[in-house]
Amino acid sequence: MEFWEAKLKNKLPVIITFGSLALIPLFVGDYWISQLNYYLVYGLFALSLSLVWGYGGILCLGQAIFFGIGAYVMAVTTKGMISPILMNSYIGLALAILCSAAFAALLGSFLFAGKGINGAYLAIVTLAIAIVLERLMSNWYLLGGYNGLLDVPPLNLGAFGYDIELWDSLPAFYTLWVIVFSVAIGLTYLVRSDYGILLTSIKTNPDRLAYFGFSILKLKLSVFCLSAAIAGLAGALFVTIDGFASPTLIGFTLSTEVLIWVAIGGKEVLLAAFLGAIATRIAESWLSEIFGDYWILILGITFMVSVVLLPKGLIATPLSHIGKRLSIKID
Amino acid sequence: MMDILIPLIDASSYVLILVLIALGLMIIFGMMGVINMAHGELFMIGAYVMVLTQSAGLPFIVGLILAPLLVGLLGLIIETLLIRHIYLRPLDTILATWGLSIALKQGIVLIFGPEAQSVTSPIDATLIIGDFSYPMYRLIVMGISASLIAGTFWLFLKTDFGLMARAVIARPDTSAALGINTRRLYRWSFVIGTALAGLAGALIAPTISVDPQMGLGYLIPGFLSILVGGAGPLAGVLVGGGAVGGTSSLLTVWISPVAAQIAVFVLAILVIRLRPNGILGGKIEK
Repeated sequence: MEFWEAKLKNKLPVIITFGSLALIPLFVGDYWISQLNYYLVYGLFALSLSLVWGYGGILCLGQAIFFGIGAYVMAVTTKGMISPILMNSYIGLALAILCSAAFAALLGSFLFAGKGINGAYLAIVTLAIAIVLERLMSNWYLLGGYNGLLDVPPLNLGAFGYDIELWDSLPAFYTLWVIVFSVAIGLTYLVRSDYGILLTSIKTNPDRLAYFGFSILKLKLSVFCLSAAIAGLAGALFVTIDGFASPTLIGFTLSTEVLIWVAIGGKEVLLAAFLGAIATRIAESWLSEIFGDYWILILGITFMVSVVLLPKGLIATPLSHIGKRLSIKID
Repeated sequence: MMDILIPLIDASSYVLILVLIALGLMIIFGMMGVINMAHGELFMIGAYVMVLTQSAGLPFIVGLILAPLLVGLLGLIIETLLIRHIYLRPLDTILATWGLSIALKQGIVLIFGPEAQSVTSPIDATLIIGDFSYPMYRLIVMGISASLIAGTFWLFLKTDFGLMARAVIARPDTSAALGINTRRLYRWSFVIGTALAGLAGALIAPTISVDPQMGLGYLIPGFLSILVGGAGPLAGVLVGGGAVGGTSSLLTVWISPVAAQIAVFVLAILVIRLRPNGILGGKIEK
């Protein structure tokens, strides 16, 4: 019972959400399962932005930088463009995570060290970096240039010569589900841990934190890198289901989209950000058929209205109300 | 001599337009701390007003007058419905105006379609002095931009309105206590900033291709100009716009436009990081 109160109860919303997600393939056809795969990856990407923005207080308008790096590294590795020896999904994923995190570490130490760049300045600078990288990838002909890299192989769970390639959407779904669920549950533990408390204090009272002897730079860097690693993982998984890495994955448009998902869902609640991504994508696939080009107009206005009226997010606000009723703190 | 003169004039013409856009951004950012991500779209709408006036057969000058008026009116509506509710949440203004920019961009796509529109130049003449030749209209645009910039400086440095505006920037609470209606001042500054963007769009519409995506290409350099120059003094915009616009325009003489743009963005980020208060900015008072 004590274990239940202390550990499990707060994880319940995440477990229920992912539990119901796992059941969906029993009821829907192949098309929707393949769509679900995209939703899971986008949800993972939204989690990364929620962590760095909602919990770390770093507004990164160029989150697609890390998604794109992960996507390209995975594509290059599994297509055997570096070396045929490295043509392995596990190595690809590891490299994608490492490269995204390493780039974040470089960028972060440049941006945050010393007096550093904060708030609005940081937002503009990260957006500018995303645009620069998109231009760069569009003109880097070795990596496909504007057309991107085609025919990226799907995930291959086999090793040592045995191949278990996930061409079908159903096995791919459960593999992705396991990965995304582990990251999500891991993050909910993390934000309730001592580290999570430190993150909250970066946002609320950084001066006091420094006074107590914590290094703000290290904390910011760590959360920035962790978020980049998750975004990189999402990008790497994305190319395995999409089979295609293009400059749009690293640039302005995707950065905007993820920002909208997370803002509409609720940046300060991981689960809400995750659901925000899924809900927006589902709404898009339904409403863009009904409303056609008006859908983007509606999305823009919804985004605007939710920022002004419900700054905590359209999903996070009701979610926290329910949580309060059941005395669960939802992360 | 001609090899360097033409690029230099091209560069100054780009710099002047960039400064005009950045000035609007700067008034809004410096004064109210509002980051207006929809500024590029307001600039775009200015250009589309010109498209409309031309297709209606009205003279060019009517477009030049209508664009700032209509865009300024739009600015007034935006301020009333959106911005004034989030003055106290500066970071949220980025998000809200970003949503606005998406909506405006898509609105234009729905009305005019995604393809590029063209605006014909009202003056076809070319200025020829010896070996030197340059389109007359571009020179006129430069002249108008320069006088608009000078006019804005005059408004903010020499008039009572400007004095109040600068007082509000420096000490908002004290100014309010002294009886300045800060809300009204914010509103009119926002309108002036947006009207400037609309006018800039209308002015250069004949020299570029007018399409729904054109705003972003000016928004980011505009912001980088402000940050490079320093968000404190108004003159920072001149320095920043000169640095960002001049470098990117002159670099294209030697390297490809894409490489030039990448180089400028990287340089600008370096400057912003190393001198967070901008080239002109002094120490921020605590």
